[in-house]
Amino acid sequence: MLTALGSGFRALGRNWGLVVLVLLANLGFALLLAVPLSLQLEGDLANRSASSGMMYDFDYDWWAAWSERQRGPSSALAPDVLGTGFAFRNLELLLTGWLPAGLFARGDRASLDPTILGLGTLYLLLQVFLTGGLLGVFRAPQGGWTVRGLVHGSGFYFGRILRVSLLALAAAGVVFAANAPFARWVDGLAREAVSEKTAIALALGRHALLLLALVLVHMVSSYAKVLVVCEERLSALLAFLSSLGFCARNFLAALGQYVVVLALGVALLFLFGALDARLAVVGWKSQIVALVLSQLFVAARVALRLGLLASQVELQQARGR
Amino acid sequence: MGPRTAGLLLAGLAGVVLASTGAPAAAPRHVAPPLPPVAGKDAPGLPPLPEVSPRNASYTIEARLDPEKRTIAGSLVLEWRNTSEQALSTFPFHLYWNAFRNNLSTTARGAGHRAPGDREREDRTFGWIQVKTVRLVGGAEGGGTIQDLTPTVRYLNEDGNADDRTVMAVRTSRPVAPGETARFRIEWDSLVPHGSIGRAGWVHDYHFVAQWFPKIGVFWKGAWNCHPFYPWTEFFSDYGVYDVKLTLPKGFVVGATGRLESKADNPDGTETFRFVQEDVHDFAWTASRRFLERRSRFDEPGYPPVDVRLLLQPEHAHLAERYLEATRIALRTYGTWSAPYPYPQVTVVDPAWGSSSGGMEYPTLFTGGASVFAPPELQSPEGVTIHEAGHQFWQGLVASNEAEEAWLDEGFTTYMEAKASDHSLGPAGWGRRYFGGAGRGGRAGWPVVAPGVAIPRGSESLVDLREGGESDAMAKRAWTYRDEGSYSLNSYAKPALVMQTLEGLLGEETMVKVLRTYSRRFRFAHPTTEDLIATVNEVSGQDWRWFFEETFFSADLCDYAVEVRSDPARTPAGWLEGEGGRLELKAPERKGRRGDGNRFESRVTVVRHGEVLLPVEVRVDFADGRTVTERWDGRDRWTRFRYEGAKVVHAIVDPRRRIAIDVDPSNNEWTSDERPARRAATKWAGRYLFWLQNLLELHTVVG
Repeated sequence: MLTALGSGFRALGRNWGLVVLVLLANLGFALLLAVPLSLQLEGDLANRSASSGMMYDFDYDWWAAWSERQRGPSSALAPDVLGTGFAFRNLELLLTGWLPAGLFARGDRASLDPTILGLGTLYLLLQVFLTGGLLGVFRAPQGGWTVRGLVHGSGFYFGRILRVSLLALAAAGVVFAANAPFARWVDGLAREAVSEKTAIALALGRHALLLLALVLVHMVSSYAKVLVVCEERLSALLAFLSSLGFCARNFLAALGQYVVVLALGVALLFLFGALDARLAVVGWKSQIVALVLSQLFVAARVALRLGLLASQVELQQARGR
Repeated sequence: MGPRTAGLLLAGLAGVVLASTGAPAAAPRHVAPPLPPVAGKDAPGLPPLPEVSPRNASYTIEARLDPEKRTIAGSLVLEWRNTSEQALSTFPFHLYWNAFRNNLSTTARGAGHRAPGDREREDRTFGWIQVKTVRLVGGAEGGGTIQDLTPTVRYLNEDGNADDRTVMAVRTSRPVAPGETARFRIEWDSLVPHGSIGRAGWVHDYHFVAQWFPKIGVFWKGAWNCHPFYPWTEFFSDYGVYDVKLTLPKGFVVGATGRLESKADNPDGTETFRFVQEDVHDFAWTASRRFLERRSRFDEPGYPPVDVRLLLQPEHAHLAERYLEATRIALRTYGTWSAPYPYPQVTVVDPAWGSSSGGMEYPTLFTGGASVFAPPELQSPEGVTIHEAGHQFWQGLVASNEAEEAWLDEGFTTYMEAKASDHSLGPAGWGRRYFGGAGRGGRAGWPVVAPGVAIPRGSESLVDLREGGESDAMAKRAWTYRDEGSYSLNSYAKPALVMQTLEGLLGEETMVKVLRTYSRRFRFAHPTTEDLIATVNEVSGQDWRWFFEETFFSADLCDYAVEVRSDPARTPAGWLEGEGGRLELKAPERKGRRGDGNRFESRVTVVRHGEVLLPVEVRVDFADGRTVTERWDGRDRWTRFRYEGAKVVHAIVDPRRRIAIDVDPSNNEWTSDERPARRAATKWAGRYLFWLQNLLELHTVVG
């Protein structure tokens, strides 16, 4: 497993441009909403003393009144985007079924504007599209890629990869559906707990179990995509089933890859939090530093995802036959 | 770029960030400014401080708890003195626990947290109190029966709900004359409800027992005041001496109103605790085998010493000192700003998980509320502790009618809680809890604090006010508000902001004198809003009724805003008087060349968006360093100030932020400097961008 991880990340390292490409796509999507927000904020803050407050710190009174008037994507701007809060907020959105497109949400309190949900769905589609091409690059032992080749490969495998993704979505739906009564049962136990510590353990535990289940679904679907590309499978369903078998036979290794990548991700988050806490963002210089820092974080995150994919190719090629 | 290069780049960036900023990772610790000297018993210029209450409703109670059956068997002797000028023969009593008897009570028919729907209701959440006998007895010990009043028991339903059993009345054959004392002996049984809904109840072996005995109403302003238990109202009762014996199985740690006089083992394996407290109007108690006990002593110059007893859940042991320090803050600040806490002890109860008993006050005992994960920035349990301890000074010591004028207690306490927290702890941070699942209110889940975000005093109340401030006039009888949210807003947030505004307009020194005068004059005396207004007028030497008309007695909102326009001063053009008085035509200057660049015509417009009329100050700053302060009575929809000369660079209405009740302080200030707006916009759009980028990436987990 570690060998596959190392090989995978080395393969990614040889093709680091893929990280840049995905990062640019990610940035481009996000800018679609961030730029209008910036223009709106500039207008709303113009000639207001809150502009100084927001430049140096966070003007709670201004933000509270402003956010009450917001409808649409701008309503998502809140203090919980600061520090490491963004990660918890996003994870909660995932675990309450809001990703993608609110498909699995059950009227939970956390919610997102439909525009943001729509953008996320489009981004997911783009990543599904690119997966075939990415796997094609990682499959080739010498590495190297061109944009044209990547797009060609992505297009070639898109249909099958999309079907695998739809199967994964269906599996995720089953997970969320099964989770609902389980969560109610665990929450009932938590309410009846004698000690708050027991209740906390139960609540956090059931969220962790849900996350684990989603990770397992991702693992199976990801290996299914690997099989589609590496073994030229024509049937998405059969690839999915084969992937189930592969993951069962190599469960510890396959799961271990995720454990390592998630651990690296958590470490990255803490590092970001530590650096972010020491960065006073005020003027243009510090904003540029903050932007670079944030993009490095996203790039690292993308690298972890692509590195995992590459290492899954390595593991499949080493143990798949 | 290989992994090594990427790693070096990251490390280099980290070094740049760490070297380029001296920003500390943590905010500096708040230092509380000094308080004014506490006003002692005979402070000059203030009313004398009563030491003893009227003691016209004194209870001697004996009760036995059966924790297995969840029942209480009780008996009491009530010594009730007729302090009115009327002879009375009808006597109403509260039987609060009958609100939980079934789904037909007035409480159950309402809405809010005390009235869950049938689908959410479990059998164990029902409870009741059943009076077995009521007798009029004679003698100092209440021994001989003068009259069996049990046959006269009837239930009162002022709201027309014949199924409600929360008020019973008995009738004596001989009226009780003014000044005479009647002694009632009452025996009752009760079933303790599960504590997940109402404030009283059991959860596992934790028992919180409040509003649990038949309690006589208050004869007030010429009539009995004894309302049914409405869905969200609170309480009103007279002062007396409470002498209470509680018998429970051994092994319970017991806390109660008053001091522990004795504790005795009984042959049947039970223990009897005797608690006594003079000059209180209620008695509550709690028992649990799991309580940890911590003690502290508040003993500071100028204040009477107070023993603080904390009963804590084991999982909150690490929060003990925070609970105790918050209690000390309340005793110190409230004691300075009103009058010192007169009782020798106070008990603080950390409620059990799953219990709704938290965040509530009783004489010399109150409940807090905490979570295992409690970042100090979120000021929990400090906030609720300071609040509930604060009630000792209002509900506990002046005892206004909480059912009819809830703001006099909750509003005062919320106002002073914000003042005390701001003084002693500094502004609270902003945080959210995630992955909570089960749990009451906002305490469940993993807390994440947003770095660098501080919530100014009163800001959270403004959010509530903007949302629902126009639903109801503030001053209404508590059960007549539109819903529980309106009750909460108009009892807590809005009156707190009104009091904060009054403080701003009067000045803090005068406000403290108002609070001290009011709390001393009306100690033990059931004051009303009119008493408060009269006190404000007396202390300030002015008639402030207009202020209360605008705020207490209305549902209007207050919002003043400022707009500024500065144009280059015009160069005279057109037919002008020249030499010798002849008219000469001077052509207007071409566009873009008006004025001499240093002279401007400025208009500062102050607009009243809300309906509340308050006088305001407006401060205008000019580019040449000059400052002008204008005053406006705030009555018209707008007013305008014109200036010629240097450009206006800054204008602010209410510069001293005295009008806390202005629902949108963000439109109070205008600046000519447009540079911060763009930088602030890109800064926060950058944060938003980062959050969104991560959210987009997270989509790849699913599918």
